[in-house]
Amino acid sequence: MLVYITQRLLQGVLVLFLISVFTFFLVNLAPGGPSSLIDFQSTGAQREARIKQYGLDKPVHTRYLSWLGSALRGDLGTSINQGLPVASLLSQRFLKTLQLAAAALLLATVFGIILGVLAALNRNGFIDQIVSVVTTLGMSIPNFWLGIIVILFFSVQMRLLPASGSYTIGAEFSLADRLRHLILPASVLAFSLMPNIVRVTRSALLEVKASDYVRTARAKGLVERAVLWKHTFKNALVPVIAMLGLITTVLFSGSVVIESVFGWAGLGRLAIEAANGRDYPVILGVTMLVGSIVVLVNITVDLLYALVDPRLRHG
Amino acid sequence: MKKLGTLVLLFIASVMLGAGVSAQDYDESAVLNFATNADPTLNPWTPGAVIESNLINTILFEQLTRYNPEDLSPVPGLAVSWEAAEDAMSWNFSLRDGVLWSDGEAFDAEDVAFTFNDVILVDELGAQSATQFSQVETVEIVDPLTVRFVLNSPFSALPYYLAAFSGMLPEHVLGDAENPLTEASFNKQNPVSTGPYKVAEFVPGSFVRLEPNETYWGEAPKLAGIVFKIIPDANTQVAQLLAGQLDLVNRLSPALLAGVESNPELEVLRQSQNLYFWVALNQEDERFTDPRVRQALLMAIDRQAMIDSILEGYGTVATGPIAPLLGAIYTADVPDYSFDPEGAKALLAEAGWTPGADGVLEKDGARLEIGMPTGQFGDLVPATLLVQQYWEDIGVKANVDVIEWNAYIQQVVVSRDYEGTLAWWSQPPTPDVTPYYSCEARSSGNNIPNYCSEDLDAIMANGQRALTPEDQAAAYGEMQTYLAEELPYLYLWYPDILSVKNTRLQGFPDINASTAFQFSEQWYVTP
Repeated sequence: MLVYITQRLLQGVLVLFLISVFTFFLVNLAPGGPSSLIDFQSTGAQREARIKQYGLDKPVHTRYLSWLGSALRGDLGTSINQGLPVASLLSQRFLKTLQLAAAALLLATVFGIILGVLAALNRNGFIDQIVSVVTTLGMSIPNFWLGIIVILFFSVQMRLLPASGSYTIGAEFSLADRLRHLILPASVLAFSLMPNIVRVTRSALLEVKASDYVRTARAKGLVERAVLWKHTFKNALVPVIAMLGLITTVLFSGSVVIESVFGWAGLGRLAIEAANGRDYPVILGVTMLVGSIVVLVNITVDLLYALVDPRLRHG
Repeated sequence: MKKLGTLVLLFIASVMLGAGVSAQDYDESAVLNFATNADPTLNPWTPGAVIESNLINTILFEQLTRYNPEDLSPVPGLAVSWEAAEDAMSWNFSLRDGVLWSDGEAFDAEDVAFTFNDVILVDELGAQSATQFSQVETVEIVDPLTVRFVLNSPFSALPYYLAAFSGMLPEHVLGDAENPLTEASFNKQNPVSTGPYKVAEFVPGSFVRLEPNETYWGEAPKLAGIVFKIIPDANTQVAQLLAGQLDLVNRLSPALLAGVESNPELEVLRQSQNLYFWVALNQEDERFTDPRVRQALLMAIDRQAMIDSILEGYGTVATGPIAPLLGAIYTADVPDYSFDPEGAKALLAEAGWTPGADGVLEKDGARLEIGMPTGQFGDLVPATLLVQQYWEDIGVKANVDVIEWNAYIQQVVVSRDYEGTLAWWSQPPTPDVTPYYSCEARSSGNNIPNYCSEDLDAIMANGQRALTPEDQAAAYGEMQTYLAEELPYLYLWYPDILSVKNTRLQGFPDINASTAFQFSEQWYVTP
């Protein structure tokens, strides 16, 4: 097991290195330049001066090596457009995205599993049909549109919930206030994540229900509840865990849109702004951070498999 | 007796009412909520501090002059009076006495000299908008409350430019900085400023909160605070406006006005700025050097129809680079090139362009096929596509290439790698257009079409020497006629700037945002 974990971690480091090379050269060689250098009204002389200031007159591979050197020493550089250290930008924004992502994941998992189980128990019944409609909507409605619609309804029409930000500006800290601000963005994000969980839960449960060991459990006279919880549910968890691993990446990409619509100061919005403004150090920082998270989550998921399914236990 | 009693009562009532109005005609606890589309940089000269920072910086960093909200002429700001030397080669500015920075230090000539000599005029810093002051050689301190701007050529527009996002910086705070434009503790946290409001809190990515500046020299601010929320999405901004969570949204697209116009709490402001849209034809390309070709290409475009469709009517056909807003200088008495496709064809034929086998005009083996890179920004793409259609009708083929905005700037503005392109210029309300038209500004400056004419340079220099309104009107009248005949740019339209504000916000000059934000001490909220 220890060997396996070490192996996976080393693989992860290699993946991250490749991501850094690829991203660095891709963004630096893409047309355009940092928006603070390349704005519409600046003249050639101004651009020259700024290019020198930011060291962008050096060749790309030299810049990569110096970035890598500093990054290994823990210095991710300074944002070209914002003038703030990348590390501090990342830590501020990451916490915000984490709040949003955790809330959305919680909502999506709870409701997704409940709906999935209900659908599976009522296979082809009325509830199954309803759940199927809901999941189809969740998969097909674009996030930004749904975001604007819920703002128009809950914020403009009903005046119930705030439309943007993560707390009331100037007010004392209050958990209720934070939650009020979290409801809309987290729900919209959860709504688009939920269908995957519902579908995987439903089909896994159906598959397991039809399997031999469940039939055996029933045959030996266990009550239905025990069959469901002890035998069916635990075995159906394997694909759901795999799904959760995949969803982490979806969460980060989904939050890009949601954060812009709801004015949520998270990592997704930072990434969009950095990409539009060609803020090279920030693009690198966000990519490496999200890359590390995805790599770690995948390793964790693999280990969780092993815990849930003895057949997959390595070593 | 009864009558007298009534009179006394009436008198008492009116006194009470009167007192009530004068003591409390505004809500002292009101906080205004504005939106900005990205994290601002709280230093007007930092490279990249543009639209997301301009209005906040206008409140914070006062300028030597401000725009008169009536006619946009320069009026006192941190300077109380100014005068040009007889040879027009220098200007003296008398500074306001008793102005304090928000940290309590006194503002004086040292700060003005620092802002210019150590920031704007230092080429290596590449300060934003520094090119506005390329004619300034240096700023000399005459006495603690007088500065002299020494010029390298006459610059009659100086007082106008000093009101255009040209805030003063504190020498005592930034004087020792290695680079006064990149101090994060100043730009992103806690700047020292002289305006009626100062920064109370800046949460990156979320908001900037301003509070009254107790050391402000003028009338006391009438609000408890101003919050700029960072909201990148225009739809969300409008939704918040409708929900009463925002008091003002600037530069709205006409398409987003729908729900706003019917809301009794909101009022739509049709504002104007010295801003015009144009098509540039690269003058390095010999096909476009004949003015008749440029005139014909403009005549082929139905500009009013474009305004009606793209701007939903919120705009006026442009006659040149000076908007009607500049009442005393603007003249409509120039060739106007109204829509006439037949006339356009005739004019092109006169210039030697005749239809080839596929209908596209040709002359000496060259074809009128125009490569038009277009940036994905605002209305640029639909506008370019309409121009393409109009030109097709007269046998001119435009190849439209839509590219991402940042890459567009790199290709068109930096590399000048284009044949034709559509964009806009926005400039301070001065008739001086030298940065966009002079031979010197070709290739790397703001003269995007690379147009160069010694006659035009001479006319613009006359304008820069003209110090009286009469002389300026004469010089710039000649310039407008010349530009309309020569068409260095094909002038399209002056858009109305649409802003929406909540009716509770009062004392807000309607003319345009950059002016209104110079008078934030006058804003108040009705109780």
